Amino acid sequence: METNLKLAQRDPRGITRHRRLFPGSARASRAVCGVPAVNVSATEEGNTHRNSFTSRSVRRGAERCTRGRVRSPILQLSFAGALLILLAVRAHAAEVIPPKPDSYFNDYAGVVSRGAVERLNTRLAQFERDTSDQVVVAVYQKMQSESSIEDYAQRIAQTWQVGQKDKRNGVVLLVFLDDRKSSIQVGYGLEGALPDITAYDIRERHMNPHFRKGDYEGGLSEAVDLICKAIRGEYKGSGRANAESRSGNGGTAGLLVFLFVLVIFLLAVRASRRFGGYRYTGGGGPFVSGNWGSGGGWSSGSSGGGFGSFSSGGGSFGGGGSSGSW
Amino acid sequence: MKISIFKIGTSLLGLAAIFSLSGCNSYNRLVILEQNVNKKWADVQSVYQRRADLIPNLVNTVAGSANFEKSTLTEVTNARASVGRVQLDPNKAPEDAEQLKKFQAAQGQLSNALSRLLVVSENYPQLRATEAFQNLQAQLEGTENRISVERNNYNSAVQDLNTALERFPTNMLNKMFGFKPRAFFQAETGSEKAPTVNFNFGSPAPAPAATAAPTP
Repeated sequence: METNLKLAQRDPRGITRHRRLFPGSARASRAVCGVPAVNVSATEEGNTHRNSFTSRSVRRGAERCTRGRVRSPILQLSFAGALLILLAVRAHAAEVIPPKPDSYFNDYAGVVSRGAVERLNTRLAQFERDTSDQVVVAVYQKMQSESSIEDYAQRIAQTWQVGQKDKRNGVVLLVFLDDRKSSIQVGYGLEGALPDITAYDIRERHMNPHFRKGDYEGGLSEAVDLICKAIRGEYKGSGRANAESRSGNGGTAGLLVFLFVLVIFLLAVRASRRFGGYRYTGGGGPFVSGNWGSGGGWSSGSSGGGFGSFSSGGGSFGGGGSSGSW
Repeated sequence: MKISIFKIGTSLLGLAAIFSLSGCNSYNRLVILEQNVNKKWADVQSVYQRRADLIPNLVNTVAGSANFEKSTLTEVTNARASVGRVQLDPNKAPEDAEQLKKFQAAQGQLSNALSRLLVVSENYPQLRATEAFQNLQAQLEGTENRISVERNNYNSAVQDLNTALERFPTNMLNKMFGFKPRAFFQAETGSEKAPTVNFNFGSPAPAPAATAAPTP
């Protein structure tokens, strides 16, 4: 080591090979650029290939070479800072509205037996066919929100748009097991049939006693029973649930097909322009129009899902109903 | 080079047509937004009215119970009366922010009186156990939820209208046709401070001769 040090001290050009070089630092850059080696300035007359393939560090001169150096330490620090801030923001809890469910009775926490889930789902699907009211039940393990249960539940119901758009006849029953909170949200159109008092009665006097004993299945089936009893007769159904009747329309599948066909048509036009100039792609006409018809036909199988699946009707919620803990 | 009058005329006519068509479009859009704001304002009014209508029922139920603190009840009744005095036009959303503040302050007074009533009723477990009181509590909670939802809807509608009125080409129509930006519901002053609750644990006097208990 001593001999090395002496070497360093003796060498007037300051070769610093024996100290640790941090990547990105100025010293490392000087080592990479070979500062002591390139004493020759690139602007000498002898260098005719100056602007073709010589590297930039040679052209600029070794003293100005910054290869391997972090050009702006401030930029580096600011990136690191931004990354830290992003990580910190992600750690903070934000409200999450759960995604729209596929069926009427959804047990995301696994506390209701499969038989009961099927039975209640079928029952609520039939209820929609009979009365056009959409009743959706969802059991979650935990609330993903810092707000109160009534605000959160109203936002969820409003996002899911349960109930038909014109009649606004939706009811959403939400249960959060860890927080021990439940909420019945009633759409605008059903506030007469299922007023706050009835919702409170269903929740507090019929559902909560079961929940306190841990009998979630019993509590939920009784609640569903009472809700249906309360709102039956308010509206008349069309005999078909929203999920089943939507399959006649184009929906999103038809739109995708149309866009696809449009793209192909445009490509064909471009291709024909390249070859022939003003030859109008008459072949594209019947091709496009023919596909529109079949696009509508395709989507009748795709959208709508299965028998007994829930598809929202666009209903809205005004905060009616009752919420609380058990 | 002579520029024909005909060409100038037709191009001016074309420009005028474009401007008037786009002006019509903007005007119609503003009309739709304004009608939406008025509708949402009417919804807000109806929801506040719903709460006001519940009050007499609540007061009767509570007064019926033995020796409930009269002062709380009178506070609620007075707040209800003062709400009746601050009337805003239910058909037109308010443009004056000060007027809306007064309206909000009166309603806020009623909210405070009601919450104090509910807190005081904690001292009367027999009252709380009655079905009538529980039903009223459920109705009041539901009404408060509705008020909150309708206020939020109203604020969104006002935001849409005010934004459309501020945007560049449309803001020239404001003065011409008399569209005015509307006022928002603000957070109530002092709501950022948590309310202090003083529990008055003086026992309710059993004899009917005792009337008003001293207020805290």
